[in-house]
Amino acid sequence: MSRRSLVAGVLLLLALLLLLDSLWIKAKAHLAQGLIRHAWQQSLSSGEPVKPWPWADTWPVGRLQLPSLNVDLTILHGAQGNALAFGPGHVLASADLNSGGTTVLAGHRDTHFAFMQHLKKGDELLLSNRQGKQQSYEVSELAIVNSQQQSLALAASSALVLVTCYPFNSLSHGGPLRYVLTATAI
Amino acid sequence: MFKFKSANKRIVLEDYSYDYPYSYRRKKSSFKRLLCLTLVTLLLSGIAWYSVQADTADDARHSSALSRINEVQAGQLLLQSDLEQRYQTAELKNSKVHFSINGMLANVALEQSFNNSSGDWVEGVYVFPLPDTAAVYSMRIKIGDRVIVGSIKEKQAAKKIYLAAKQAGKKAGLVEQQRPNLFTAKVANIPPDTTVQLLLQYTQTVNYQQGKFSLRFPMTITPRFLPGLPLRAASSESAQLQREVALANQALTLESGLGWGFNTDVVSDGALITPWLNPKASDAGQLINPISISADIDMGMPLKEIASAYHDITVSKQQGRYQLQLSAGQVSMAQDFELSWQALPGQQPQAALFVETIEGEHEQAQDYALLMLMPSQQQAAAANIAREVIYILDTSGSMAGVSIRQARASLIMALSRLRPQDYFNVIEFNSQAYPMHRQAVAASANNVQLAIKQVQNMEARGGTNMQPALQMALQQSDDQRGVRQVVFITDGAVGNEADLFKTIHKHLAASRLFTVGIGSAPNSYFMRKAAQFGRGSFTHIGSVNEVQPKMAALFQQLENPVLTGITITWPKAVVVEQYPEKIPDLYQGQPLLIKVAAKQLQGELLVQGYNGGELWQQSLILKHKAQHSGVAKLWAREKIAQLLDEVISGRDEAAVKPEVVAVAVAHQLLSPYTSFVAVEDVASRPSPQGLVPMAVLNARPKGQAGQSFAYPNTATRSQQSFYLGLLLLLLAAVVYGLSLKRREQRL
Repeated sequence: MSRRSLVAGVLLLLALLLLLDSLWIKAKAHLAQGLIRHAWQQSLSSGEPVKPWPWADTWPVGRLQLPSLNVDLTILHGAQGNALAFGPGHVLASADLNSGGTTVLAGHRDTHFAFMQHLKKGDELLLSNRQGKQQSYEVSELAIVNSQQQSLALAASSALVLVTCYPFNSLSHGGPLRYVLTATAI
Repeated sequence: MFKFKSANKRIVLEDYSYDYPYSYRRKKSSFKRLLCLTLVTLLLSGIAWYSVQADTADDARHSSALSRINEVQAGQLLLQSDLEQRYQTAELKNSKVHFSINGMLANVALEQSFNNSSGDWVEGVYVFPLPDTAAVYSMRIKIGDRVIVGSIKEKQAAKKIYLAAKQAGKKAGLVEQQRPNLFTAKVANIPPDTTVQLLLQYTQTVNYQQGKFSLRFPMTITPRFLPGLPLRAASSESAQLQREVALANQALTLESGLGWGFNTDVVSDGALITPWLNPKASDAGQLINPISISADIDMGMPLKEIASAYHDITVSKQQGRYQLQLSAGQVSMAQDFELSWQALPGQQPQAALFVETIEGEHEQAQDYALLMLMPSQQQAAAANIAREVIYILDTSGSMAGVSIRQARASLIMALSRLRPQDYFNVIEFNSQAYPMHRQAVAASANNVQLAIKQVQNMEARGGTNMQPALQMALQQSDDQRGVRQVVFITDGAVGNEADLFKTIHKHLAASRLFTVGIGSAPNSYFMRKAAQFGRGSFTHIGSVNEVQPKMAALFQQLENPVLTGITITWPKAVVVEQYPEKIPDLYQGQPLLIKVAAKQLQGELLVQGYNGGELWQQSLILKHKAQHSGVAKLWAREKIAQLLDEVISGRDEAAVKPEVVAVAVAHQLLSPYTSFVAVEDVASRPSPQGLVPMAVLNARPKGQAGQSFAYPNTATRSQQSFYLGLLLLLLAAVVYGLSLKRREQRL
C-alpha cells in the first residue's frame, strides 16, 4: 500500500470524525428534546422537577411555542453549556417564567434557536411554565449587541428576551455578537 | 469526542515520525510532496484539535463565571476580562474621612484600608472616586507598620519608578488620575496577612448656591458604559491601527486596572476605569466598604440647617464651630455623601476673600486668593420670553432601579412647568436615541399630557450612547423660537467624557445645556463640565424627595435672566493671573467664584456685567486679615482645569501637557500627567515568590438594580466541524486520486 493511500485514509478518517461530530451535536440536540418532553409532561402532572435522564444536571422548566414556524421547544433550567446542548435554557439570574418580570432564554443559534432568524416584529410567542400558566408575548424589538461591550440589563416589566449567537451562519463559535429579541407580554 | 480527536492527533504524529526517515531513504523527490501532504494533514488536525480545546476552554471559563454569578446572585459582573481567573479580590475595611471646613475651603483627609488575607505576596489595585474639583496634594501608604511617603512625578517617570520597585521586590505605591474624579491606586509587594492603608489629603472649594453651602463626597463608581469597538477584536485593516491595537493590548496586560471593561477605540483606557463592584447588595443590612465620616465647620458665623442629604448625622456646637459625625458610626460606601449648611437669614455672605501668601525662596512673596462675590439680587424676569426646551432622558441600563424613578419624576415635573407659549421635545436614549417628536412642538396641554404619559412608561435598559442624543438635541430648529435650553437628565456613567465635551463645545451655538445628575453615585465630573461647556448649570438629584426642591431651583435658573458678559477690572498696579480666564455666565443664586495669583493683592476691583441688556456693576475693596492654607493649591488646580479645557476646545494636547506638568509639580498636585509614587528603600519580597494581583472592590451604588450580567455562549462547534470535515474529505479524495494515478503509472 502506498504512502499516499495511507495519508488519504487518515484524512478520510479525520473527515468522517469531524462530520460525525457535527452530526452528533445536532442529533443530540434533536433527540434529547424527545426525552426532555417526556420529563416535562411528567413534571407538569407531578408539579415537581423531573430529570430527563438519571445523570442529567438540568430539568425542564417551561415550553416555548410558535405555531407559525412550527417551533415547540422545552426550556431547561440554566443556560450553561451542559443544558444548552440539549435544549434552550432559562438564564437563572433573570425572572422566573411568566412571573411578571423579564425572563431571558438562551439557545444555540445552529440548533434550537436557529428559528430566531425568521422571527420578525409582531410575531407571537407562547410560553408555559411548570405551574401550567400560559402567557403570550409579541416580538417588539430585535437587536444585535456586542456582548463584550454591553451587559444584559433587564427591565422590570413583563417581557421575554431570547438570546442567541450572531451571525447565524458564522463558522466560528466564540464570537462576541449576540442576537437579542425582546417580546412584551400581551 | 475529545478523546477521539487526541487519539487522531497521536496517530498522525506517529505516522510522521515513522514515515519521515523511511520515505527519505526510498525516494528523495516524492519525499517533498509527501512531506507537504503530511504537514497539511498535521495542520488540519491541529486546527481541529485547537477548535476542540478552545471550546472546552470557553466552556470552562463560562461556567466558572456563571458559578460566580450564581454564588453571588448576579452582581455587576458585566464582562469577563482574561485576567479574571488570576486575581484575588479584597474589600475595604474601616475607611475614614474627615472634612475641615474653613470658610469656602475644605481640607479633607481620607484613609482607606484593605487586607491581604491570602498567603501570597500581592499587588493591590484600587480604583476609587474623589470629588472632581479636588486638589490632591498628599499621599502616604502604610503597609504593615511601614509608612512610605509619595511625591509627585511626571506620569511616565512615576510609572517607571513604580515598576522597577515592583520588580525588585520593594514595597511601592502609585496613585494615578484617570479622570478628574476617578483615580487608581496600586500598591506592590504587600506581604501575606498584612493590612494596607492609603492616606490621601486634598483640598476643595465649598459649593455655594441659592444661599446654601454644600460639599459632596463620592463613595463609589457607577459602572461606566464604554462606547466603541473593543481593541482586542483586532479586526482592523490598516497597519497603523493594528499597531495601536497591539500597543493598547500590551498596555492592558502591563497596567490594567483589573477592570471588567475592555479598551475600545473610543475609550482607550476602558480597563482602567471599570472597577469590579462588590456583588453583595449594600442595602441588605450588611455594611460594604464601611466608612466613618466626620467634619468640623468654621464659617466664622452662626449657621442653621446643617444637614446630610443621604446619611444621618449628629451635630454639636463648640465655641462657634460645629462638629458632626455619622449617627450610625459607619455606613456603606454605596452613596455619595452630601453635606449642606446655611447662614442665618440676613447674614448670607455677599462677598468673601481668602488669601494665602507663599514666600518664594528667591523671588517676592506671591499672594493667592479665592474670591467669592454674590451679585445683589437680580430683577425678576420682566420679559416673559418664550423658550424652546429639549429634554434628554438617559434610559440606559445603569439607570435601572431607583435612578430611573428619580429621572422620570424629574422629567414629569419639568414638563408640567412648561408654559403654553413654550416649545418642547423629549429625546430618550440608551443604545440609540429616540426623539418623541421630529421637531420641538408647542407645549399645549394636550402635547404635554401625551408626553408625560409616554415618560411614565420609560424603562431603563441598554447602553449609554450619548453622542447621537446630544447632537440631536443641539441641532438648531429652522425657525428661532426664543431662548433654547437643553435639559440633560442622566447618571453620566460613560467613559468617553472628553469626546462628549468636544461635541457640546462644537455644536452648542445659541443653546444652553443644563445637566441633572441622577442616582446614588453619578459622574459629577461629567455633570459639571458638560454644564460648563454648555454654558448652563448643573443639579444633583439623589432621591425622589429631592426632585421637587431641586427641579424648582433649576426652573428658577431656566426662567430668570442671567448675568452675562462679566468682566473684572483689577487695580492698575496689580498684575494677576486669574482662573477661569473667561468668567462664565451666572444664573440665579450662583456666586462669582474666581482664583487669582498676584504679587501683592490690594486696592479696589470692579466687576461689570449685563443683566438682560442692562449694565450691572459692583466694586469690592481687597483686604484680608487671616491666612488660609490651601488657596494656592486650589488656584493651581483651577489652572490645570483651564489648561485641560483648552484641549477640549481645540488646543494641541502636546503643547498643554508640559504646562500642566509644570504647575502640578510646582504645587505637588495629582493631574492627568503627574502621579504620586512612593517606594521603600529596601527590598522585602523574597525573589522566588511571585506577585499575585488583587483588586479592591467598590460597593454597588445604593438602589441600583443589580440585574445586569454577561451574555451566555450560544453557538456550538457543529458548523465548524461540518465544514472542516468536508474540506478534509475533499483533501482525502485528492490524495487518494493522486495515489491511484501513481499506481497506474507504475503498472
